[in-house]
Amino acid sequence: MGKVREALREGRPVALFPYGDRVVLWVEYPGGEKGVLGPTQAFFLGERRRFPSLAAEFPALDWFERALWERGFEPVGHPGLKPLRRHDLPHTFREFPHLHEVPVGPVHAGIIEPGHFRFSVLGERIVNLEIRLGYQHRGLLSLMPGKGAEAALLLVERAGIEPVAHAMAFAEAWERALGWGAPPRAQYLRRAALELERAFGHLGHLAGLFTDIGYAYGATQVGRIRALLQGELDRLTGHRYGRNFIRVGGVWREGQPDLEVIAAHREELARLLPRLLKNPQVLDRMRYVGEVRRAEALALGFVGPTARASGVGRDLRQDDPLYPGFTPVVRQGGDVLSRAQVYAEEGLKALEYALFFLRHLPAGPLALDPPPGEGEALARVEAGRGEVVWFVRVEAGRVVVAEGVDPSFKNWRALELAVRGEGLPDFPLCNKSFDLAYAGSDL
Amino acid sequence: MSLLYTLKVGNLARKLEDILKVPQHAFGYPLLKPEGLTPGVREGLMRLCPSGAFAEAEGIFSLDLARCVGCGRCALAYPLGVGEMRSLEVAVTRKEDLVQQVDLERGGFLDPGPAPAPRRELRLPTLAFREVSAGDTGLTDSEIALLNNPFNDMGRFGFQVVASPRHADALLVTGPVSRNMAEALRRTYEAMPEPKGVVAVGNEAISGGVFAGSSQVLAGVDKVVPVDVYVPGDPPRPGAILHALMLLVGRMTQRLVGGVLR
Ligand code: SF4
Repeated sequence: MGKVREALREGRPVALFPYGDRVVLWVEYPGGEKGVLGPTQAFFLGERRRFPSLAAEFPALDWFERALWERGFEPVGHPGLKPLRRHDLPHTFREFPHLHEVPVGPVHAGIIEPGHFRFSVLGERIVNLEIRLGYQHRGLLSLMPGKGAEAALLLVERAGIEPVAHAMAFAEAWERALGWGAPPRAQYLRRAALELERAFGHLGHLAGLFTDIGYAYGATQVGRIRALLQGELDRLTGHRYGRNFIRVGGVWREGQPDLEVIAAHREELARLLPRLLKNPQVLDRMRYVGEVRRAEALALGFVGPTARASGVGRDLRQDDPLYPGFTPVVRQGGDVLSRAQVYAEEGLKALEYALFFLRHLPAGPLALDPPPGEGEALARVEAGRGEVVWFVRVEAGRVVVAEGVDPSFKNWRALELAVRGEGLPDFPLCNKSFDLAYAGSDL
Repeated sequence: MSLLYTLKVGNLARKLEDILKVPQHAFGYPLLKPEGLTPGVREGLMRLCPSGAFAEAEGIFSLDLARCVGCGRCALAYPLGVGEMRSLEVAVTRKEDLVQQVDLERGGFLDPGPAPAPRRELRLPTLAFREVSAGDTGLTDSEIALLNNPFNDMGRFGFQVVASPRHADALLVTGPVSRNMAEALRRTYEAMPEPKGVVAVGNEAISGGVFAGSSQVLAGVDKVVPVDVYVPGDPPRPGAILHALMLLVGRMTQRLVGGVLR
């Protein structure tokens, strides 16, 4: 355990999931070039479905251990077990005597996924928020074993709100397990789709933020360009959200997005976004609201724009040789405005990368059938919301073990922290600034 | 540049007939071609389809549109056996109308008779609806939300989203209905005043879609509340959802009968 603790102190946990009757902890730890974090290492913990809990010392593992506990594992010494996804187990909210409780959800006023939020408030001020999820739990992971590559991908594409990133991570894990790789043209097409997905998502967060502060002009402008960009993702992949595009061994098709149109949207956004984000109304409502501190982001293992807006500059694309010289977008404020700035800047960059990949498509086939055989591997992809992780063990073309982690699973607690001390009406704004996937968290 | 650009991408609310079409670059809904369904083609289709949309039993070869994820591979590999439908007017009031059935001996589609009419009391000039996401990945919800954008602008047809079920004429439900959402869905429905309609949006809401085998889902909105209109798709494009709303309020008719457009 000494080695595990050391690795966790130096690096950061990537995933913790069952493997037979043991659990395996993947840690990303220093060793890469340029001072960024580097390779991942697997540690096997415990046996006979019992393992020593590390959650008290490393709170980033808390939800992972709770999820394992629900699946019949026992984290020995866990400080407070509570179900995450199973609603047939007893769940009590933390109580604060003398404070007023405001329950919200699972069905919300707008068109979003379901979740329950329990606020303890003093007057208008939020003292504590406890989030209860699990409403979107569909038992996705339990359906994976025994599936062939294509049926498995159908599930994977429904594991979170970002199907391209999930499918890409899963396909890469499968390919790596067999010592294989997609041909160069497919690699570029996958990344082009990934970047369009990112731009689409980030613009959605921005449009939502503008809506939530009553800035209709901003919301309409961004929403309009976003809808048009979705058309280009549709043209590239044949699906408005990029499903049915990536396969194990490559991609299924190559559509014809209009590069000029993408470039025109990017130009327009580059003029528009900085102006919108400097609007006094925006600054007034977004600055110093919903702060997440750097230390909190590190301790709780937040990923993606959530972490980067709090000064934790880590983006998996740094390690990807197809993004030479990539530098992550980082802001220090940790507030709603910082997250909005990260979305705006990353969105513009994403469109640049999408254009780059589409303009420099290498010649060659779209896919190569992977060889038969068996093996296992882990792969990670930087989705719009943070790192997507898939692990797969393949035997004779079928899934034996498959485990996935959506970035939202790691980030939900950022919302609990962000709203502390804020007024109750700021909750929707804070929520939108993370725009987390419920279904992805509820796998 | 700006005007040219506007003309090129069309920055205006689209006409209804354009909204109800599958765009050029995308695959529509698959359509069986009875004459091309040789034994080899049928076997190939069943092997190839990732979602298991094709089936054969007792001399009937069928394609369930509510299972199809729209990958387009069947039409590409077997153009003689499968074509495509380019209309988004695919919402139906009977689940069975989403299944194409070919009688292999006689060689033609089975005819399920005339399409049923929607409920009279729901013939409304405007429609306020509430949406419940019950295990959807979030994309179907997103498509419903996008009905409001400047391109689809459902407000001009008299449709609006309301925050409370007490204000709603209709309920749109997405997702296979996770066990953990069943109760909330039922209570939302019960909170609505009469008359009220329910639309199951997307394959998963119709019968579970790819989650049909999971013990954690009920596999279909109609397992919890009565459904008036089903709209297939993965997720359905906003146009298809708009057609479902139009069908619910009796402003458009059902075109898909026995899985085939009329
Ligand atoms: S389009 Fe794809 S999912 Fe649909 S029936 Fe054809 S092969 Fe199956």
